[in-house]
Amino acid sequence: MKRYLFKRILTGILVVAFSVMFNFAIIRLAPGNPTRRLAGKDNPNPATIAALTEKYGLDKPIAEQFVLYVKQLLHGDLGYSYVSTAKVSDLIKSRVAPTLMIALTGAIFGLVIGTLLGVFAARKRGRKIDTFLCSISYLFDSTPSFWLGLMMILLFSSVLDWFPTSGMYSLRVNAVGFARFLDLLKHMALPVTTLVLIDIPYYFRIARSSVLQTMSEDFIMTLRATGMSERKIFNKYVMRNAIIPTVTVFGITLAYMITGVAMIEIIFAWPGMGRLMLESITNRDYPTLSAIYLLLSTSVAVMMIVVDIVYAWIDPRIRVE
Amino acid sequence: MSLLELKHIDIQYKTPVKTVYAVQDVSLCVEEQDSIGIVGESGSGKSTLAMGILRLLPDNITTVRGEALLNGKDLLAMREKELQSVRWKEVSVVFQKAMNALSPVHKIGAQMEDIYLVHYPNEDKGVIKNRILELLHLVNLADRVYYSYPHELSGGMMQRVAIALALIFKPKLLIMDEATTALDVVTQTQILNEIMVLEQKINVARIMITHDMSVVSSTCKKVVVMYAGRIMEHGRVEDVLVNPQHPYTQGLMRSFPSFTGEKTNLRGIEGNLPDMSVMPACCVFADRCPYAQARCRSEIPALTEKAPGWQVACFRMEGGEADA
Amino acid sequence: MEKKRMGKLQKIWITLKNNAQLRIGLLLLIILLLIAVFGPVFAPYNPKRLNDDLLAAPCAKYLFGTDKLGHDVFSQILCGAATSLKIGFIAAMISAVIGVIFGGVAGFFGGVIDQIFSEIMNIFLMLPTFFLILLIIATFGSSMLNVMIVIGLTSWVGNARLMRAQAKAIKERTFIKSSIAMGESKFSILVRHVIPNGIFPIIANTTMNISGAILTEAGLSFLGLGDPNVISWGQIITAGKGDLPKAWWISTFPGIMTIFTVLTFFLIGEGLNRVLSPKMDAKK
Repeated sequence: MKRYLFKRILTGILVVAFSVMFNFAIIRLAPGNPTRRLAGKDNPNPATIAALTEKYGLDKPIAEQFVLYVKQLLHGDLGYSYVSTAKVSDLIKSRVAPTLMIALTGAIFGLVIGTLLGVFAARKRGRKIDTFLCSISYLFDSTPSFWLGLMMILLFSSVLDWFPTSGMYSLRVNAVGFARFLDLLKHMALPVTTLVLIDIPYYFRIARSSVLQTMSEDFIMTLRATGMSERKIFNKYVMRNAIIPTVTVFGITLAYMITGVAMIEIIFAWPGMGRLMLESITNRDYPTLSAIYLLLSTSVAVMMIVVDIVYAWIDPRIRVE
Repeated sequence: MSLLELKHIDIQYKTPVKTVYAVQDVSLCVEEQDSIGIVGESGSGKSTLAMGILRLLPDNITTVRGEALLNGKDLLAMREKELQSVRWKEVSVVFQKAMNALSPVHKIGAQMEDIYLVHYPNEDKGVIKNRILELLHLVNLADRVYYSYPHELSGGMMQRVAIALALIFKPKLLIMDEATTALDVVTQTQILNEIMVLEQKINVARIMITHDMSVVSSTCKKVVVMYAGRIMEHGRVEDVLVNPQHPYTQGLMRSFPSFTGEKTNLRGIEGNLPDMSVMPACCVFADRCPYAQARCRSEIPALTEKAPGWQVACFRMEGGEADA
Repeated sequence: MEKKRMGKLQKIWITLKNNAQLRIGLLLLIILLLIAVFGPVFAPYNPKRLNDDLLAAPCAKYLFGTDKLGHDVFSQILCGAATSLKIGFIAAMISAVIGVIFGGVAGFFGGVIDQIFSEIMNIFLMLPTFFLILLIIATFGSSMLNVMIVIGLTSWVGNARLMRAQAKAIKERTFIKSSIAMGESKFSILVRHVIPNGIFPIIANTTMNISGAILTEAGLSFLGLGDPNVISWGQIITAGKGDLPKAWWISTFPGIMTIFTVLTFFLIGEGLNRVLSPKMDAKK
């Protein structure tokens, strides 16, 4: 187990290292002048050029530039956004909370609803309701999240006028306390629902297939032969075995959470990381983009290691390997 | 009254495409402290028979007909509740793949305890644990097995766990379904010897399902030879295996090394199992039988008594003595 | 020979009869290909033509309405089909080729090569793919070729893992061992025996990858990173985004087409997987 964990951590470190190198390379390999790219303008003024050359050592050999870059990163210096001239790290900090808010809510609802439906379908295997649920899950699986978001807006905002379409709070009402919280919930409703609808088929399929898989295992036959009630077999033994893939997948989803909700944030103008990403893309704000990318790869690597630990904890078979 | 009496058991698998007649008209008696070996090649319906009478086959695609009287009560006609109260307490099973016989993510002790609680829900935990440890000792396993997960044990150890588990309620009948097939010869012999010793101690009758004639010959008193879902021959081991009457038994005997260790006559039987999705109207073995005649292909031979407690399903028996 | 062929056809027929996913998927695929090939011919208007009616609702003249510049949405959708399919196919093919070679070499040669290759796969598996694609496209430009290559380069790991497992298993089979004994070169064995014998799961996975690539392309287009020189469904959806409350039809129809297309490949992939491992199919 220790060796296994060590290996995973090593992979995680390699992933982060790869991302750092990739980031370093992409700005220098991309067509055009890196100064221009870092400045974000076609004709930056000489002062900017001088400042950037100084900061990134652009006149020095590549190897030296890389050392400088890594040093800055280690100091937590992710550079400055040239659009808002704010520190990129501050920019990201302000956007993390809203993203986590909808991403976590969505992921948890998706997990619970999807898994329950999957277990239900597995128990009704082959019946009409199972076929129906499976077909629906295929359909939602094939739906682009951004399009689903648009359709939600069309239906629940434009036609029914139940929910606001964008932002976190109503701009014109300056509500406080509970009213403000309600306002937030109202704004969260559509993005979270979209996210949940996108996530459900995923958990549905995993839960359904792992329950079916577990029910066909030999030990289920043993337990039946002992006279144990079907309910106990299912609730205790089938579920405990079948839940393992779901937990793993949930962890992986959490790892990719930020990219997962990006599209939805953009549709609903939710002031999170995804929106920041889009803004940086449209403005070709490279310092911000590469900082987001680094943050993402690091968090994915860390989450994957956490998933592995949890996995080893819930599945004793891994522990000995 | 016999411990277990099977009367005309028919088992069929139904899929949308076809129906497989897995077991046909099997009748059998198991007395207390009996040990019966059911032999036949894979696909002959021996496991299906055992699972079928315990109602462990998926009921949406199988039909089991006939009577399976355990102490006079028909297992096949019982209500679910009653059946559950009989399972494992009176009949227990050691399954084919012992490695997968228990849940991989629960500790062995905990699972055995859970199983104990099925029939004695109010038993004291300490008592249960002692009982389980006692069982583990009985099959020569150390205490630590109680706290282990299945994957931490070897195949032989898991086999012992499965046997201990099967003996947990001191059942009257133990069904061993290819229980030692996956083991190496040394471990197999060891476990078989242990079982025979145990049997003396705890008075249990045993049905041994196997395709290994030598297992039957060394551990059983009676033998049932099955082919394509039907009984071909059954009787005492010292009769059937020494002087096999049915051509199929004779073939089987030739495919295994003899007890004395000569390996001269090691040859199989030509041909394959018949298509089991066709309801047979003749002797199921006719296609592979060296003595098959016109009658064998148009009629089903009934089991005929050759000697008391020795029956053979072959027309050659009717004409008196068959020379083997 | 004739009889053998018949047997094969019959087998395919039986497979299709028992495999709803594959059956429906292939049917949808035929329709889709017809649309992609003949769509431009039957398009009532030039998709780039600016008609006089702006934001016209679906009617007999404009089957799916027009957008704010007067483009006929129906014609655009018909012409966009080829884009989606092309990107899906080529990207998935790139990822299949890389995956097969990479996984095949890792699994077949084993040892240190396998360890290094597996580690590279693990790294790729942990990369936030979609964002990586975004970053590259934003930097290097959003031509269709770039989009296809980048999607291909970032989605091969699944194929490589499948191929690696296949190669490892096939390597142990007797006919490979005898080829080695007969002195056939390792590379030739890999290309002539190992890969052809282990390719089936990769085919199934590649079909699924087509779905993934189409979705990714739609997402990129939606973010304004699509190729501006071609018509794609993602771009039509984006074009209609601003007019959604007044003109629902612009974004709705291309979205439905996307679902339909993605579903097609998804079903075929699932169907092929079921052919591959019928175990889950057996009614236990």
